[in-house]
Amino acid sequence: MSVLEVDGLTKKFGGLVAVDDFSFEVGEGEIVGLIGPNGSGKSTVFNCIMGIYGVTDGAIRFNGTDITDDSTHEVVNKGLSRVSQESNPIDSMSVAGNIKLFTLPNSIVSLRGGASEEEIYDYAARIDIEEHLHEMPDELPHADVRRLEIAKSLATEPEMMLLDEPFAGMNQAEITELADQIERFREQGMSMVVVDHNMGGLMDLVDRIVVLNNGDFLAEGTPEEIAENEQVQEAYLAGEGL
Amino acid sequence: MLESILSVLILGAMMSAIYALVAIGFTMIFGVGGVLNLAHGGLIMIGAYAFLVSTSSSVVGSIAVPTLLGLVIATLVTAVASYVLYGGLVRYIEDNVVITFLSTVMVALLLTELIHYEFGSSPRTLLPIADGTLHLQGVGTRINYMYILGFVVSWIAIGLLWYYVSRTDEGRSILAVSMSERGAQLTGVDLESVKSRTWLIAGALAGLAGVFLGTLQTTSPEMWLNPLAIAFIIVVIGGIGSIKGSVVAAYLIGYLEQFTLEFLGTGYQGIFSLVVLVAVLLLKPEGLFGREFAHE
Amino acid sequence: MSSETDTGRGIGGRVSGAAGRVGGAAVDGLSTVTEPVDRALRPIATVYNRTLGGYFGEMNGLQFVLLVGAFLGLVTIPFWGNYTLVQATWLACIWGIFAMSWDIQSGYTGYISFGHSVLSGGAAYTTAMLLNNVNAELPMRITIPISVLIALIIGLAIALPSLRLSGPYFSLITFVAVLIFYRLIRPLSEYTGGETGLGGIETVYSTDPVMRTYAFMIPMLLIAAALLIVARSNIGLILVAIRENESAVEAAGINATKFKIWSFVLSSIPMGIGGVLLAHRFGTVTPGAFVVVDNSIEMIAMAVVGGMGSILGPLGGAFLVIMLEDVVLSGFESEIKWSILWLIVLLILVFARDGLFRKLWHGLDRLGGDRR
Repeated sequence: MSVLEVDGLTKKFGGLVAVDDFSFEVGEGEIVGLIGPNGSGKSTVFNCIMGIYGVTDGAIRFNGTDITDDSTHEVVNKGLSRVSQESNPIDSMSVAGNIKLFTLPNSIVSLRGGASEEEIYDYAARIDIEEHLHEMPDELPHADVRRLEIAKSLATEPEMMLLDEPFAGMNQAEITELADQIERFREQGMSMVVVDHNMGGLMDLVDRIVVLNNGDFLAEGTPEEIAENEQVQEAYLAGEGL
Repeated sequence: MLESILSVLILGAMMSAIYALVAIGFTMIFGVGGVLNLAHGGLIMIGAYAFLVSTSSSVVGSIAVPTLLGLVIATLVTAVASYVLYGGLVRYIEDNVVITFLSTVMVALLLTELIHYEFGSSPRTLLPIADGTLHLQGVGTRINYMYILGFVVSWIAIGLLWYYVSRTDEGRSILAVSMSERGAQLTGVDLESVKSRTWLIAGALAGLAGVFLGTLQTTSPEMWLNPLAIAFIIVVIGGIGSIKGSVVAAYLIGYLEQFTLEFLGTGYQGIFSLVVLVAVLLLKPEGLFGREFAHE
Repeated sequence: MSSETDTGRGIGGRVSGAAGRVGGAAVDGLSTVTEPVDRALRPIATVYNRTLGGYFGEMNGLQFVLLVGAFLGLVTIPFWGNYTLVQATWLACIWGIFAMSWDIQSGYTGYISFGHSVLSGGAAYTTAMLLNNVNAELPMRITIPISVLIALIIGLAIALPSLRLSGPYFSLITFVAVLIFYRLIRPLSEYTGGETGLGGIETVYSTDPVMRTYAFMIPMLLIAAALLIVARSNIGLILVAIRENESAVEAAGINATKFKIWSFVLSSIPMGIGGVLLAHRFGTVTPGAFVVVDNSIEMIAMAVVGGMGSILGPLGGAFLVIMLEDVVLSGFESEIKWSILWLIVLLILVFARDGLFRKLWHGLDRLGGDRR
């Protein structure tokens, strides 16, 4: 059984069709790349999955359960977490505080719950930011702010992560490092979907690529197959290069 | 019954015209700067009292200008007050919505106290610009000439504003900023100057409204709250930043109020429009013609 | 969502920034004296921090002395204060409850409520209407719980539909709630007493100022303690996170709307208690003293003056404002007094928007040697 099933997803904003009858699946332990030129609808797909947008048509299932109409916190609590494209830290709280928030239980009578300091340290260590726990987010370099986003996501103990442009703004060395860390997550049992608008960082990382163009499914295959796919190349030339 | 309905139709139009004057300034400021100017009612109050001071020799013995001139003076004074309110205060705090809310409320309360102090708390009567009432035989109603004048003035003001905002460059820049601040900035619009002008115009409209409200209803230090409530009821229903929306909603609320007055008496005045507001806020917060409150 | 104007933080920010730097230098100079004092006091503070600190928040030696000193001074007021001061204290305790209750909801979540006086007014009017329309002999142990319950119900009625809207729309609805309440009083004057209000409420301990003081102070202290515990707990953390970044809260698997409503509930109950206390303080309930929008705004002013989002700040703010109103400025004519008050609040809003007591607290942090 696949972990995530997107089935005929359609999302319209008034008259604009952002995503049109789009389907794909992610199996357990897979890393799937979702690519497409700018404006192809990738972030919209993620937003629909995470319950930020309502869905116009279609269904989304996580581990067999229908999550199409779930709100964001419900989706997260079922084990699906997203690292968003824009970093979103709470500037008035330290890195540790930011992570701690993501461990708190969704309970109005719980005064003391959440992770212990060791557990927060562990989450930070999994993505190599444990030295910055007591710093404030605005003191961190860009790559570490992105890592904080990932740490927050890890703190929700997800079975599956959606990574939206995780490599954005990073240099080659940072990209390689992050790709290694992501690979380690897979070894720890995580399934992932990685969105990017170019293939560079994804080639060695993902098992399979799904290509989205103008909200439509365009192609699916191994990274090598996609790189040679003429339709994909055309779609990108119309937008920007691979 | 027929007479009642006709009476409502006519009086409702009159009242709505004045409500429109009250609301348009508020929506412009909200649309252009994202600022909820809770001192708007205070500006209306300034308009009424400026008229009082200039036209009534009972206040400052030596001054008693003709009422029409008083109207002009009131409009100008309020426009300037509004401009100063922006330039001297709001400009520095508009980055923080909460502080702006609270500060403009403080200004309104300050104004109330100062007017209380200077003019006393009992309501004043303003000299009407147009005295007397029109008796409509067929309908059996009397309409105060001030209402008719207010109707005319209101539509002239709306017309002038519409022309300014759609045909002149300066005016169009105001519309542009209300749609997208960053976008307007990128096309070279001077935000500061647009905002100052908006506050100036909104002030002028508030001043006008103040004179009419003050003459037709009461002029007292408490008069800032009800027009403010009307203003944001209308603005929310009509849609933030939409002048057209404000006009339409003003007539909706004006008629609603008139119906309530005619058939339920004065006791329940003001309640139904609040209920309508709550309903709109819960069901369609962007209002009839507006966008979501997403001032970016 | 802030507009990117050239003035950026604006003059208010620049002035307070400059003042901050000057003040900071002065404070650093002073700290050569105060740091040793703080170190001397450290042992007691540490005992407190280890035992109660987890519940109420930790503090350094100087802060500890300030709070304990203020507490002792407060609790002994009936014995050293003159009558004006003592009377003002009763009001300050009640308004302190209002300000703190407002804070746990509006200050923490950032969803500013302009309508909190509906909650206290609702409770007060319930008490008055029960005694006037139902049975004048009803004992307090019946009227009080019912009144507080009504406050809670009103709070839920406002919160449930409107907290899913964004901040400014929520604020408008709360403003409207007050207006609706106020405007209903006259048409229903048969039950509500109209403009003149209702009387016949027992004024507790009216002959015994000492007991009277404690009748108002003890509930206030209990409420302060309870709200502090909540504010310093995970719930407080979530509420602050909602204010700073609501989508992050959702992404953390936490139902933000649920917590927003909870904060309103946590706020409504003490508001009801305060409303009841206010009714029993004066013996009568009038729209002007209980329901008008000005009352809501006063609560907000007190909280902002003290420092929103800190519970103790608003409490301090309430005391400050009431003392200004009833003690310091009492000699002035009413309009002048209020003008001065609103002007002071306005100045604080512009130049010290974080609140006076918060500045004091941070000042004590620095005096104690913490340079962060």
